[in-house]
Amino acid sequence: MKAIAIKGVVFTYKTGTKALNGIDLYVNEGEFVALMGKNGAGKTSLSFTLNGIIPKFLKGNFTGSVHIFGVDTKIQKIANLSKVVGLVFQDFESQLFSTSVELEVAFSLENFGIQREEIRKRVDESLALVGLGEYKNRNPATLSGGEKQRLAIASVLAASPSIIVMDEPTTDLDPLGKEHIFAIIKRLQKEKRTIIIVEHETEEVQSADKLIIMGYGKVAFNGKPEDVLKDIELLEQNGIRPIGITCVFKSTLNYEEAKQLVKKGRINPRAYEELVNKDRKALGEPLVEIKNLCHCYEEGTFALSDINLTIHNGEFIAIVGQNGSGKTTLVKHLNGLLYPTKGEVYIKGIDSRKWKRKELAKVVGYVFQNPDHQIFANTVEEEVAFGPKNFGVEADEINIRVKTALKSVGLVGYEEKDPFSLTKGERQRVAVASLLAARPEIIILDEPTTGLDYLETRRMMELIKKLNNMGYTIIIITHAMWVVCEYAHRTIVINDGKIILDGTTREVFSKEEILLSAHIRPPQLVRLSNILGKTLLTADEWNFSFT
Amino acid sequence: MELFLYIDKRSFIHRLDPRTKIVGAIGFFALALVFNHPLYVFILLCIPIILSSISFTLGNIYRMRVLLTLLFFFSSVLWPIFLRLSREAILYGIAMGLRLDMMTITGILFLSTTRQEELSFGLHKLGIPYRIGFALSMATRLVPVFLGTGSTVIEAQKSRGLDLDTGNIFVRIKKHIPLIIPIFVSAIKNTDKLAMALESKGFGSDSPRTYYIESRLDVRDYAFLFFIVLLLTFCIYLRLKGYGIVLARL
Repeated sequence: MKAIAIKGVVFTYKTGTKALNGIDLYVNEGEFVALMGKNGAGKTSLSFTLNGIIPKFLKGNFTGSVHIFGVDTKIQKIANLSKVVGLVFQDFESQLFSTSVELEVAFSLENFGIQREEIRKRVDESLALVGLGEYKNRNPATLSGGEKQRLAIASVLAASPSIIVMDEPTTDLDPLGKEHIFAIIKRLQKEKRTIIIVEHETEEVQSADKLIIMGYGKVAFNGKPEDVLKDIELLEQNGIRPIGITCVFKSTLNYEEAKQLVKKGRINPRAYEELVNKDRKALGEPLVEIKNLCHCYEEGTFALSDINLTIHNGEFIAIVGQNGSGKTTLVKHLNGLLYPTKGEVYIKGIDSRKWKRKELAKVVGYVFQNPDHQIFANTVEEEVAFGPKNFGVEADEINIRVKTALKSVGLVGYEEKDPFSLTKGERQRVAVASLLAARPEIIILDEPTTGLDYLETRRMMELIKKLNNMGYTIIIITHAMWVVCEYAHRTIVINDGKIILDGTTREVFSKEEILLSAHIRPPQLVRLSNILGKTLLTADEWNFSFT
Repeated sequence: MELFLYIDKRSFIHRLDPRTKIVGAIGFFALALVFNHPLYVFILLCIPIILSSISFTLGNIYRMRVLLTLLFFFSSVLWPIFLRLSREAILYGIAMGLRLDMMTITGILFLSTTRQEELSFGLHKLGIPYRIGFALSMATRLVPVFLGTGSTVIEAQKSRGLDLDTGNIFVRIKKHIPLIIPIFVSAIKNTDKLAMALESKGFGSDSPRTYYIESRLDVRDYAFLFFIVLLLTFCIYLRLKGYGIVLARL
């Protein structure tokens, strides 16, 4: 009997969106399946059919059938199916609701009517499995992002479902947090559980038994990962980032094999020097100067301590560090959302406390992580005009600015659309446009690519790069290290509220050990070049200098 | 920002059975209603404050000081205006303010010493259907989440130049639209996700529910309940005898 048998599934949401368009799929017991594809390709919808959320909770037009170990999902309650199919949702924040780690894990077991002694045993087992054994009595709200995600997984594992489905379990996590999750998946694989994982990170899905690529509600590819991961064109078509290693060494995917190949070749010193010289960007005048900045939210606990930083006009800076390290707290000082507890922040030479907040917001634009926290208007045009209107710009001028801003983000023709009907990537661009219309000099973007697929991420980052070339000073906060490598001139690493590294991205990524202490691991290609004592940031740089 | 009230301590109050705490809180609400003389209400008000201090949760009452002051202030100003200004009306207004504060403090004390899981456990044991009890306890959890979203939205819109502090009252109300819409949209989206997550964790499965939390009514609980019943009876007796009244109304 197959663990999962999907036959001819077509599903259209009530809103009219056809999410699944004829899916036929089998998964054997004990298989590890990775599900990839563009946003909107139907990955999440497919995973929702496995425990009956589609069509029972999210209603719509459903035809075809899904059988779990021979049982039709249509005749089962979601709650009963969840004993067999454990589903970990994309957004870990919204699925944790208990007041302690222990009770969070016990919740599903209580629902299944399991006795107290057995619950205790299983809580301990599943917390140990995800490495949270010591956290039993902690409040989930106090955990870091990676820990929360592991808790979400443990709470699903406790009911010991034979099939485990995880929807993008590693977005929003720092590199080591991601590795933790994949280590857990390895352990589950050994236990012969059936694992389905929706993922954007290509490097991590190589160990899957089966890779399924979805496109427009259909299965576009279904086979062994090694058969498709070398096909760079096919991957890019489906919004999947090719593995850096294959872009350089066509013949292999594997990090260890690539290591051997690297040792046989060398990096041309002259070409390398050229790359290093390009890093030296002509700097403009200083826009931001931070001196001995400390910030504490409550008595005694420092969110930031002793920060010294100068940001020049025209720079493109990435701020990285683990969840909760103080990145967001730092940038909030630049537009007056926070003021220093100690020390000073000067914006264009003037102390941030002396700026009127509105005036400062005009100079320093800040795009929050989740566009849904700021979108409110009926049309895209009105949304984008909100900023300039607040700043008292005249109507004619606003029109011009809205047009230019929409053009910059590639949303011409969207003026009259309802922003709520757009995709996450588009809403993110509306948020950027609404900031551009205010014409700030510095643009801060907090995790601008979270939840975007590879193509959307590329598009967003190319847009930001274009803005930087136009003269805007850019500061991004991100967990995506390849984004940092490809786009940022300068990288600042924050750990425990302190700056531990600050320099050109090349310099910073050459210091692997210090990075590791901040839970950051450079992408595989960068690590390979570090073996040779030089730091190459992208596949292009490799192809340019490696012989 | 930490907005949850529960403080994890090991005190006499924390260790009481959730049922005792629920009944006790209702008892305090009733006590707050017995008298309308400020002095009498004030003396009763001291009881939840003392209980707060022995359960190490006074900090939460301090955090809510603005709310408590506002309740007291508005009540003592508004009641005399409604009731025709007189000495009795002023005293009555003050008593009403203290009443509201007593109820609020009781609520804070309850939420500071009771986990939401214990609340739903307690309600279930008291015969309330599990789903209803769970929804009630979940509300105590979602309100702070809601407030948290609110503060993020305010920051996001302030960054876009929204200025809430100027303009007349109508202008100001209109200015809140960019706050209210994102807050509600996020709240609705989150509630939906939460509902899916709950079902996916077996909420509403066919098996009868068990509880991981362990709690029995013991001597302490009976003693505490006995004390409240005694106090309530005594206070009602006093009120019937004509003590603690400034105006002949509730």
